[in-house]
Amino acid sequence: MWFSTFLILNLFRRRARSLLTMAGMAIAIGTTVALLGIAESFEQSTVQSFAERGVDIVVLEKGVLDQLSCDLHTEYGDRIRDLPGVAGVAPGLLELVDYSHTGTVMSVLLQGWEPGTFLLEGLVKEKGRLFDEMDKGVVLLGTNLADVLKKDVGDVIEIQRKQFEVIGVVKSFNFFENGCAFLPLAELQELMGRSDSVTGFSVRLDPKAGSDITVEGVRQEIEELTDDTGVTLGMSAVATQDYANQSMHIRVVRAMAWAMSLIALVVGAVGTLNTMLMSVVERIKEISILRAIGWKRGRIAWMILGECFLLSLVGALLGTIGAAALLKWLAYYPMTRTFIQGDLPPIVILKGLALASAVALFGGGYPAWRATRLTPVEGLSHE
Amino acid sequence: MSNAVRNRPQGDVLMETVDLVRDYPDGNVRALQGVRFVVRRGEYVAIMGQSGSGKSTLLNLLGGLDHPTSGEVRFDGRPLADFPSLDAYRSSQIGFVFQSFYLLPTLNAIQNVQVPMFETSVRPADRARRAAELLGLVGMTKRATHRPHQLSVGERQRVAIARALANDPGLLLADEPTGALDSRTGDAILELFDKLHRELGMTLIVVTHSEAVAAAAERVFWMRDGQETHGPDHLHSSSTR
Repeated sequence: MWFSTFLILNLFRRRARSLLTMAGMAIAIGTTVALLGIAESFEQSTVQSFAERGVDIVVLEKGVLDQLSCDLHTEYGDRIRDLPGVAGVAPGLLELVDYSHTGTVMSVLLQGWEPGTFLLEGLVKEKGRLFDEMDKGVVLLGTNLADVLKKDVGDVIEIQRKQFEVIGVVKSFNFFENGCAFLPLAELQELMGRSDSVTGFSVRLDPKAGSDITVEGVRQEIEELTDDTGVTLGMSAVATQDYANQSMHIRVVRAMAWAMSLIALVVGAVGTLNTMLMSVVERIKEISILRAIGWKRGRIAWMILGECFLLSLVGALLGTIGAAALLKWLAYYPMTRTFIQGDLPPIVILKGLALASAVALFGGGYPAWRATRLTPVEGLSHE
Repeated sequence: MSNAVRNRPQGDVLMETVDLVRDYPDGNVRALQGVRFVVRRGEYVAIMGQSGSGKSTLLNLLGGLDHPTSGEVRFDGRPLADFPSLDAYRSSQIGFVFQSFYLLPTLNAIQNVQVPMFETSVRPADRARRAAELLGLVGMTKRATHRPHQLSVGERQRVAIARALANDPGLLLADEPTGALDSRTGDAILELFDKLHRELGMTLIVVTHSEAVAAAAERVFWMRDGQETHGPDHLHSSSTR
């Protein structure tokens, strides 16, 4: 008989309690994995949307936490474009609007891009065409959004009480962009009453520029740009690879995911602690017998911790399977499919298992310590 | 006879205590008052006395379950304090048999016998093989896959004895081994002890209230008020059968 067999058989002693503890752990880890999965997807997707387009620097308004609230003058793009080593600058206006669809209100992200911008390189035409300089009152729909709204090329949709003709359905390499609507920048500025205003710039550096041109150098130059009176333009420039750590949106999503996960994990850990403590108290005599027949304190501790790890890891596996199924379902559910990706990144699964191990250590640590403190004699006389 | 337990040389002192004292300060009780107790290798000794005479306290100290207040316990001429740990001493040298068996309810008979072997380097396959041999020794081969609740009390005690022999101990300590059994089943257990003693040279120390158990032993060590006595009503002497 293996020691692990012994541990598994011990868990069968109180089947209902073991199953309930596993279920508690499954919910805790499942919640954590699902939330972290959404946060991780959001983070990867956001960074990917810049990195895949060869964007080296992302420019936002300094001191503004929410990218949607950024307000930069379109002309600042020209100032950036004039800097040495800069190969291209793409202004963008990002807006979130409510859209009424079949009686329910959903939020839709609108992207305002200039016709011909390199940002459009990330979109593949599924149907119709992209917009050009001459287009007015037109919109491109991401594949997911078109599917949810059941709109196709030639259909008309109403955004902010104005009608737009769908001229193309596009698929992006980036999941979130498949849930967006794309409008010519000038069109969106007019629609939202934000003439000459953008929420950010994507900057490409010239790969053939000399070694004296660096991302860090250009980034600093952008931040130091001033107007005619010598006042800085108030731009915050971030290297693409650092964007995930500096973006307030990503940080908020990440923080919320961790905060909610922490609550779930604490509940899971306390449940495990309670189960294992009860298990130790119920088995005082048995543990004393094991000590009497020569088991060392370390083996007693391993027995309790091992049972705890088994409960936690099986619970974590069930929770992870549940989380994966939930994300898949949310990725098909109309209200959520435009911003929830069905995939669970492997790193999140590993994080879930690591957290389950930590919970097992927390939940089993004290009971294991209590068990090792028992002396054979006091246990044998215990009733 | 199975070769699960090796034959042992006989005669020299295996276990002795020197001026053994055990106080329980909480109850202001002196359970043992300078006990000197000697057991030779291959002996079968019963410890008898009324409740509170200190016989179980002595057994606990002999088995390394408890520490003396003063005095010394020596195994094979070596003070227990010289062992790396009392756990190691118990695991390698002592086999315990309890009145209430204390088999683990989730394990079947052959698995219960393997439990002490987790503290040794014996491989899982060899553990199972040795446990099967030991169950054969105690006449439980056909019940090897039964769990404790599926066994009679006598069968449970047989499995507990096989478990006590798992690590081939030098000494078997039994605390009221027939206390929970009817007389017929108790006799069968005593026959098994006799077999272990006579055929394999096992050294046995049995704490008991039972005259029948004492009669089965080679020698009786009488105790009263934490001291050795000559017999049930006499102090300061030893009785030999």
